[in-house]
Amino acid sequence: MTSMDVSVGNGGTGANGNGVHGNGPHSVPTPIAGNRVLEGDLDEKVAVRGVNFYYGDNKALKDITVPLYDRRVTAFIGPSGCGKSTLLRILNRIYDLYPNQRAEGEVLLDGDNILSPSQDINLLRARIGMVFQKPTPFPMSIYENIAFGIRLYERLSKSDLDGRVETALRRAALWNEVKDKMHANGLSLSGGQQQRLCIARTVAVRPDVILLDEPCSALDPISTAKIEELIDELKTEYTIAIVTHNMQQAARVSDFTAFMYLGEMVEFDTTSKMFTSPVDKRTQDYITGRFG
Amino acid sequence: MADIALPDTPALVQERPDRTRVLSRLRLTNASFRTLTLAAAILVLVILGGVIVALIEGSLPALRQFGFSFVVTESWNPVTEKFGALAPIYGTLVTSAIAMLIAVPFGLLIAVFLTELCPMWLRRPVGIAIELLAGIPSIIYGIWGLFVFAPFLQHTLQPFLIDLFGPIPVLSTLFAGPPYGIGILTAGLILAIMVLPFITSISRDVFEAVPPVLKEAAYGLGCTTWEVVRHVVIPFARVGVTGGVMLGLGRALGETMAVTFVIGNAHRISGSLLAPGTTISASIANEFTEALGDLYTSSLVALGLILFVITFIVLAIARYMLMRIERRIG
Repeated sequence: MTSMDVSVGNGGTGANGNGVHGNGPHSVPTPIAGNRVLEGDLDEKVAVRGVNFYYGDNKALKDITVPLYDRRVTAFIGPSGCGKSTLLRILNRIYDLYPNQRAEGEVLLDGDNILSPSQDINLLRARIGMVFQKPTPFPMSIYENIAFGIRLYERLSKSDLDGRVETALRRAALWNEVKDKMHANGLSLSGGQQQRLCIARTVAVRPDVILLDEPCSALDPISTAKIEELIDELKTEYTIAIVTHNMQQAARVSDFTAFMYLGEMVEFDTTSKMFTSPVDKRTQDYITGRFG
Repeated sequence: MADIALPDTPALVQERPDRTRVLSRLRLTNASFRTLTLAAAILVLVILGGVIVALIEGSLPALRQFGFSFVVTESWNPVTEKFGALAPIYGTLVTSAIAMLIAVPFGLLIAVFLTELCPMWLRRPVGIAIELLAGIPSIIYGIWGLFVFAPFLQHTLQPFLIDLFGPIPVLSTLFAGPPYGIGILTAGLILAIMVLPFITSISRDVFEAVPPVLKEAAYGLGCTTWEVVRHVVIPFARVGVTGGVMLGLGRALGETMAVTFVIGNAHRISGSLLAPGTTISASIANEFTEALGDLYTSSLVALGLILFVITFIVLAIARYMLMRIERRIG
């Protein structure tokens, strides 16, 4: 079993201008007048269409269809093992590193199927950045942690590179804390700082989409608040998907929420609708804390 | 137990004497355990000290006779009883250098292949093959080197090197002379094969210890495998890799049997790597049985002392390098 098993579907031509009104089995939110979330253009940046995912013979995701809207935050909630993180790992094909994992279906990024074998994986991962649950600073200096990713794709002069590093650190609200120790090891920072360093590193590459896999679960409340602020700030430029176990966090930071259960997409809607009047009984039970 | 229980004593207190006994027994176990580990640790120091003392004592006659000139004299003449250690020192250092020059890059490449690129079904066979390579006794490398490898080199690699580097000024002296088959270069190549498994298996183990999430993060930035290895895996594993390299170097410096077979055992320093030479351990192994006279024996012991010092210096340099790396990284 190799990555070649990925089913191509109808390739890169599957967009057909579906835009907001995806034809998946799940209701697409109806625009509500005056709702902040739905103001402006709602472009489908990433479209997950009928995706199945297998860990060996174990089917972990069942026919998932969900949109990620441009410059919006989409939160994925659900009990452990429901497939939220798995879904995120499909979006930048990080699962490709492991030989017995495979995905079927279509994931369209700006209309191109990223599950297609012809997709350049390195380029894809530069366009879709990921931040992990555990902070993962590389074993190098703070400066190098950021500059490293930039250098992979661009040849910049020293001063330009310095500028890009500073911008990235400022975007991640970390600049003031590290500007005097840029050459200290990234591992010398606190957990919260390390996580913001990882976000800065992701932002520095200038991706289109940022995937956050429980970015705050290892952090204290203050660091969590900082990262939530940061997410709010970042969504003015990026499409963001966040997996979280914290319902309040989903409610605070996201515009759209998807509830997953046992590998299925149970419900997807605007966050305000999901948390006030969910349609599915399971969603209601989960967000009110009756199970999960 | 019952006889010490007072009428108004709660049940809990009744059990106390029993518990102290258990506790004192535990404490005794703990103390003896501690003494045992301490004794084991001290034993190492004692043995090490014993070896050093024996080496120094054994080499005193030679050192008294020749003084410092022992380490800078090339001539080794049992007839006139003039002994100098320069040729074996040179041979030891050069053969080990050749071995490391070849084995380190190859070992790292194999380790990277096994951990990052190798398909699952090939991983075990290659891994086992490398461990088997480490298990082959050095005498087998010796006879294989003498009867198979050296003639092979004599007919293929050595004429090729002589032709290739002949017209180039400095390199022509390095690869000058007739292709004997045996010699410094052959010994270095055999040593490279012998230390390769050490470097490979230790590097593989430390590469495997790199947290997968760290690699995923690097791949997630769009890194290629080369970039992940170069910038994340190797920096993360550098201490372990250095350890593996030093272990290999220690083995190369001290390896006796295989080297004795293929090095030619000539006490002279030649500019050419194709010429026969000797190493410290090869000299000792070759000549100890025929060493007549105290001065001869003592000179061989002094060679041993020098090897000990060289190994010690190598380890010290390794430690120092690691400390500097650690400090620079922070």
